[in-house]
Amino acid sequence: MTDLTFLALATVTVASAILALEARDLVYGAAALGITFLGMAGLFFLLDASYVATFQIAVYIGAVVVLILFTVMLVGPQMGEPPMELKRLSLLTALLVSLLLGTAGSLTSATAFPGPDDCGFGCDLIGLSKTLINQYGVPLEFLSLVLAAAVIGALTLAKADRKG
Amino acid sequence: MLDPVSQIIQVVTSTYFLEIVLFPGLTSIAILGAFFTWFERKLTARVQLRIGPLYSSPVGGILQGFADIIKLLFKELIIPEGADRFFFIMSPVTALIIGAALLGLIPFAPGIQIANVEVGLPAFLAIVTLSPTLVLLAGWSANSKFPFIGGLRALFQQTAYEIPLWLSALGVVMITGTLSLTGIVQYQQNNGWLIIPQGLGAVLFIVTSTAEMERLPFDLPEAESEIMMGWQAEYPGPLFMLVQGPAFIKLYAFAALFSTLYLGGYLGPAIIPPIVWFFAKTIVIIVAIMLFRSTFPRVRLDQLLRQGWTTLLTLSIVNIVIAYFIVVGVPAI
Amino acid sequence: MRKLEPLTSFFAVSVILLGIGIYGLTTKRNALRILFSIELIYNAANLNIIAFARLRDPPIVAGQVLVLFTIALAAMEASVGLAIIMLVSRLNVDIDLRKLTRLKG
Repeated sequence: MTDLTFLALATVTVASAILALEARDLVYGAAALGITFLGMAGLFFLLDASYVATFQIAVYIGAVVVLILFTVMLVGPQMGEPPMELKRLSLLTALLVSLLLGTAGSLTSATAFPGPDDCGFGCDLIGLSKTLINQYGVPLEFLSLVLAAAVIGALTLAKADRKG
Repeated sequence: MLDPVSQIIQVVTSTYFLEIVLFPGLTSIAILGAFFTWFERKLTARVQLRIGPLYSSPVGGILQGFADIIKLLFKELIIPEGADRFFFIMSPVTALIIGAALLGLIPFAPGIQIANVEVGLPAFLAIVTLSPTLVLLAGWSANSKFPFIGGLRALFQQTAYEIPLWLSALGVVMITGTLSLTGIVQYQQNNGWLIIPQGLGAVLFIVTSTAEMERLPFDLPEAESEIMMGWQAEYPGPLFMLVQGPAFIKLYAFAALFSTLYLGGYLGPAIIPPIVWFFAKTIVIIVAIMLFRSTFPRVRLDQLLRQGWTTLLTLSIVNIVIAYFIVVGVPAI
Repeated sequence: MRKLEPLTSFFAVSVILLGIGIYGLTTKRNALRILFSIELIYNAANLNIIAFARLRDPPIVAGQVLVLFTIALAAMEASVGLAIIMLVSRLNVDIDLRKLTRLKG
């Protein structure tokens, strides 16, 4: 029998993802999205990526969900579902893409990735920070510039709204 | 797969389960929460030359918190019409769960810690970032103007003070070189309490955590005289208890984190057991934060946000520079 | 050490989330639902990267580094997208994406 923790987390994640899209009220959808992110953080913890999991909680649930809730509350309820044919086509597309990727993945992943139980250097927190600073230091600086650009862009958008 | 019944019995009687349910877990959090309610009112009263709670028990009203709980349980549950019932009830409950989760990360004594994660400090602070969401949902779900404005103000305030909180804790991480709370305590066992090299960081941490907890002098979102209790305004009897509970649990959690980061947690001469040391330090910090409440006037919201984003942020970066020089040594300029 | 799930399980979860995301992206008209779907696709990709990096032999840490970057970038893109949605909703009341076909006005 598979691991109970993984099964529970995976079920919660997938169920809240479906709920996020199908809930009638957008606020419920945003809260369900938050639970999806929490399930994802749990899965990251299972994969020994503890720092990434806390990062996910702090950034996604702590910031993105707040922003989404804020926008939903200020924009207001908007309805609209497409006619039935389009929905069937989209469902078919999604199923087809998932089937394709799933087949490709299971063909490759069966033997090539045995998955050692003991992680060693690959999950070491100190190893992560050393790799991040030494090998990926320059992209890190560029990331901070990109974030600064996003902040300036968002502030400009807010100002443009107030003027016009 | 084991027989489910024997597996359940095995889980329930394990020490881990007892740790979660009794101490330092849920039961002790509930009792201490009620105790701190009384403690704050008594301390504030004595500072302001009043008497405070007196009649609930022979010993100066010490059972006042429990008396309040019993009284609130008997009140009528009125939920405003048009309010979103699900979020109205779930937000304070989730806030309680978050408070309990915060306390699960802290080392109370060398063996007693519910969750010894190697990223203990970021995990604590990441769970703290969940509370603005809940306050926003609580304020919005009451479907009334005062709570919504209070919820928005609480959101702005708590989001503004998250960054100085992370940055002031970052100084501790730079000096100790580890992210786990047990590691930080062990560092302080070898190298002395961290409040000495990180004095500025400790002050910043206490100020930003008081702002994060929305206590006076930063409690504009729930100010009684200005916005009619803000986002808590529409919460009837038993739910009001559920709303006030997380405030005190967060106080307990932040005081415990402060004493772990800066005052050495459970360390102390071996005459007194470590758990007593831990509680002594935590209660000192709680008294300090409660004294803020009884002596300082309330800070206005725009002053609050401006100070948070400019002064405190700058001071946190100064603190990081100081920590850098402590680690690397001054000749490294 | 704890026995880990095989890679297929994590990959299956990632692919299911990707499918849900694509379904939402192509089906929904509400701009906010589309943003939800985009975030779901981001999360599916992140889970995939971390699972492959961890269950490789030997495990490498570059997967976690990459995911740290993508989480930050996804959050930033979501915030800018939300600012745009809020502005558009102020100019014209409807955020039906099939009607928003012009750049100006």
